[in-house]
Amino acid sequence: MKKGRAWKYGNDVNTDVIFPGKYTYAVMEPEEMVRHALEDLDPGFADKVQPGDVIVAGKNFGCGSSREQAATCLKCAGVQAVIAKSFARIFYRNAINQGLPVIQSVEAAEAIQQGEEVAIDFQKGEIIAEDKKVFSFPSFPDFVLGILEAGGLIPYTKKKLSKKRSF
Amino acid sequence: MGKTIIEKIIQDHTQDEVKPGKIVWMDLDIRSARDFGGPNVAKHYEREYRDEPVADPTKTYFTFDLCVPACTLKYADNQQICRGFAKKHRIAVFDVDKGIGSHVLMEEGLACAGKTVVGTDSHLNILGAVGCFGQGMGDVDITFAFKTGKTWFEVPESLRVTIKGGFDWPTSAKDLTLFILKNLGTEKAALKAVEFLGDSTTNLTLSNRITLCSMVTEMAGIIGFVPQFDEPFVQEILDFSGEKMMSIQGDPDAEYSDEVEIDVSGLPPQIAAPSSPTNVFDVSELCGTEIHSGFIGSCTNGRLEDLQEAVRVLKGKKVKEGIMLKIVPATQKVYAELLQEGVLEDLFRSGAIISNPGCGGCAEGHIGLTGRGEVQVSTGNRNFAGKQGKGLTYLASPAVVAASCVRGEICSPEDL
Repeated sequence: MKKGRAWKYGNDVNTDVIFPGKYTYAVMEPEEMVRHALEDLDPGFADKVQPGDVIVAGKNFGCGSSREQAATCLKCAGVQAVIAKSFARIFYRNAINQGLPVIQSVEAAEAIQQGEEVAIDFQKGEIIAEDKKVFSFPSFPDFVLGILEAGGLIPYTKKKLSKKRSF
Repeated sequence: MGKTIIEKIIQDHTQDEVKPGKIVWMDLDIRSARDFGGPNVAKHYEREYRDEPVADPTKTYFTFDLCVPACTLKYADNQQICRGFAKKHRIAVFDVDKGIGSHVLMEEGLACAGKTVVGTDSHLNILGAVGCFGQGMGDVDITFAFKTGKTWFEVPESLRVTIKGGFDWPTSAKDLTLFILKNLGTEKAALKAVEFLGDSTTNLTLSNRITLCSMVTEMAGIIGFVPQFDEPFVQEILDFSGEKMMSIQGDPDAEYSDEVEIDVSGLPPQIAAPSSPTNVFDVSELCGTEIHSGFIGSCTNGRLEDLQEAVRVLKGKKVKEGIMLKIVPATQKVYAELLQEGVLEDLFRSGAIISNPGCGGCAEGHIGLTGRGEVQVSTGNRNFAGKQGKGLTYLASPAVVAASCVRGEICSPEDL
């Protein structure tokens, strides 16, 4: 289980502050995308984020535009999962389609504090925070787990097709 | 057990069992990409599928509306990437002259009641206005849809919103929409399909329904439907798209996760203050707030009827000296109607700036960017920080934007 630090934010974090619109086509390389991640919400994030870190947020995370870069820039930054009270529909899909786990847990989103050490057991469906606090979340449906394990929608369906099964 | 509208449409496009929470593989009648997202779709496609053909070129489209014509080299290049991909795969392009893609898909009769449509526009659920299941998605989703004609989708729960009572000028469908946003916030409709019912929905014109359905995205909903299709409305859609569309209704015994009643009797004009579309007040509460610019257009309020509402306020008056009023019709078809109806001349004489069709001020980077310290009143659908530049954006109806531009401060048309 990978451990990381929590980056805590509020409700309605929108895609404009996760990845500003002005970079959507000006910035295409993963390393460069990471440099602008959460730029208008938390200018310190991009410099300090470490692989395995976790975003913890309130309700409706990722609302706003359909820009996929909002999920891509967090994935490229090594964020192992986003935990939120709820997710906006397009962000939720984009994250799964790119293999970035998104976990809905009101309890964890409320309890986990900024900078707290967090580990996630995806098989068991558990978030383990400091002081041995454990928060359960419903394990992903097999289909979603399949996509996350394959690293995204397209690799998943290609794998399925190569086994001559329909997806 | 009966089915809700969304369950019926999905069931019509899948072999899988349809019930809320289930993930199904859904067939797509139309898949589209804009100049936003489109270039990445082309790049993803070439990386993942190389020269393999798309599933069906006749069901696949590019719609350019975001930065039209391109005002940066990057956008010009990106539109060329899409055009190149389209040529290679024999896909039609609604190019930079055509206007907002979601509206063009409705005008062309491609987005119809009961059909499924995806694209890279987060407001594509606007197609609910004609009973079509439209859904905005990311680049990987659309790449996959181009290749296979399918998508995965978790069947959503449905919410029934009954609208009670009516309202008069200058209150409009935008005020109704903002008031519903105030009531539902971003939670009650979150991840749900919304069915708007009630006698007063029968009177909503297509433009009105487009306004309402466009902002289900801001309610965090999946899509909104207005299933009351009476005879005049069926005729209105027929004249508009050339397609006779019949309404799909939810069954009486269908299961809804929740029901909400909203009374709009005597509703006064509404306005959403920065920086959230749900931060809604009566216009009278913010009356007198100094503004610098106004924007009328967007997929929410860019149709002939919307601009006629603005003209009703502006005719015989002038935009205040020093205030900039930017007008962007939704589509080329709307532009032609404006010419024919004399609306364009009225707008011009009032001192407004009139642009070619497209998304305009809603999209950062093209006509309508706000500077630091600038206060804008807009008929758009989002006022998030940074969405339309560094200024502050208030969201209101075309009539309120027009009136505020005449006075130079937020006001209702009745205050003039």
